[in-house]
Amino acid sequence: MPQSLGRNTITGMRLVLLAAAIVWASPAAAAGQSPVAWWVWPLALFAVTFALGVVAVLAGVGGGVLFVPIVGAFFPFHLDFVRGAGLLLALSGALAAAPALLANGLASLRLAMPAALVGSVTSIVGALIGLALPADILYTALGATILAIALVMWRSRRSDHPEVPANDPLGAALRLHGVYHDQATGRDVEWKVWRTPAALAAFAGVGVLAGMFGLGAGWANVPVFNLLMGAPLKLSVGSSGLLLSVVDSSAAWIYLHRGAVLPMLVAPSVIGIMLGARIGVRLLRIAPAAAVRGTVLALLAFAGGRALLKGLGVWA
Amino acid sequence: MDLKRDPQDIYARWLGAGAWLAFALSLLALFLYAGGVLAPFVPLERLPQLWGLPVERFREQTGAPTDWDWIGYLRYGDYVGLAAVCLFAVLSLVCYLRVLPAFLRHGERLQAALVAAQIVVLLAAASHLIPGAR
Repeated sequence: MPQSLGRNTITGMRLVLLAAAIVWASPAAAAGQSPVAWWVWPLALFAVTFALGVVAVLAGVGGGVLFVPIVGAFFPFHLDFVRGAGLLLALSGALAAAPALLANGLASLRLAMPAALVGSVTSIVGALIGLALPADILYTALGATILAIALVMWRSRRSDHPEVPANDPLGAALRLHGVYHDQATGRDVEWKVWRTPAALAAFAGVGVLAGMFGLGAGWANVPVFNLLMGAPLKLSVGSSGLLLSVVDSSAAWIYLHRGAVLPMLVAPSVIGIMLGARIGVRLLRIAPAAAVRGTVLALLAFAGGRALLKGLGVWA
Repeated sequence: MDLKRDPQDIYARWLGAGAWLAFALSLLALFLYAGGVLAPFVPLERLPQLWGLPVERFREQTGAPTDWDWIGYLRYGDYVGLAAVCLFAVLSLVCYLRVLPAFLRHGERLQAALVAAQIVVLLAAASHLIPGAR
C-alpha cells in the first residue's frame, strides 16, 4: 500500500510535468502570445516546482539543478529570468536546511569557508559572462552542461567514509578536520581532508557554472568534498548546502542588480519547491528511489537535449 | 554567552533566525503583490508579454530600475517582493559579519582572514562595485 502510494505520487509528478509541456507546446505559447490569464503561468510554475521539490528529495539532488533546464525548456520565461530565479531557488533551499545541519555538526563552516570564497568570486565572473552571452550560445552551453551533469550523476559513485591518511598542509593550516555524531550508527565520526588545493581549483570551476547558468551546484560540490577531499558523505552533503548558500548569494546580487529577478517567478517557485521537498521527505521511506532517480536523469537528459538543440537552432 | 560559543554555532543560530524571517516576509510580500493590496509597477496583465524578453529589453519596455534604484520604488508591490527576495541574498553577509569577531576571539586568525575576504566579496557584489557588472 505505501509503495503504491509512492508510485502514484511519482506518476502524479510526471503528469504535472507533462501538463506543463503541453501548455508550453501550444501554438500561442510558441508564438510568444498569452492565450491565458497572467496568473496561470505562476500557478503552473508553483505546480511544477512542487513536483520538482518532491522528486529532488527522492532522487537526492538539489532542486536548483532541475529548475533551470526544465523551466527554461517548458515555460515562456526568458533564460535571464529563469537563471535569476534558479539562483534564488537554490539559495532559499540551502538556507532552509543549513542551520539545522550546522547545529548537528553535519555541515562544517570551516570546511565550507575556503571553497565558498573561491566559488563566490568565480560565480560572480560566471554571472557576468552568462548575462553577456547571446541566448543561442547560452542555450547551447546550458544544454551541454546539463547533459554532462546527467552523465556525472549517472556514473558517480560515493563513499560513506573515505580513507584519508592525513591532512594536507593547507587543510591542516585551515583546520579542516573535526568530529560529528552520526545518529544512524550512534557513534562519533572523526574526519579530515586532503588534496585541498586541487579541490579549491575544482570549486572555482563549479562556481563559474553556478553563476553562469543559475544552477545549484550540489551535484558537483558533493563529489569534490567526498571523492576528492575525502570528507565523509553526510558531511559532504551538509557542507555542500552551506557552500551553495554563500556562492549563490554572490551571483544572485549580479542578477538582482541587472533586474533579472522577477518576484512573480521567484516567489511561487520557492514556495512550491519548499512544500514539495517537505512531501518528498515524507515519501522518502516508501518511494521507489531507483525509479525516481531514473526519471530525474531522463528529465535532465531531455531538458538538456532540448536546450542544446534550441541553442543550435535545430529545435527552436 | 556568545563569548564561549563556537563560530559555527553562532552562524547556525543567526542563519536559522534570518532564514525564518526571510521566508515569512517573502510570503507576506507575495500576498501584498499578487493579492493586489499594493499596486505593481509593471501591471500583472502585461507580464506575459514581457517575461519572454531578455532583461535589457524588459527594462527598456518597462522603465524598470537597476542597481539599488529600486529602493525608491518600494511603494509598488513588485518591488516589495524584490526587497523580500534580497533578504535571502543578504543573509550570508550578515552571518559572516557576525562570526568574524568570534573567530578572532578563538585565535583562529587564518579563518578570520577568510571570513574578512568573504565579506569583502559579498559587499562588492551587493554594492554593485564589481568591474563590468554595470
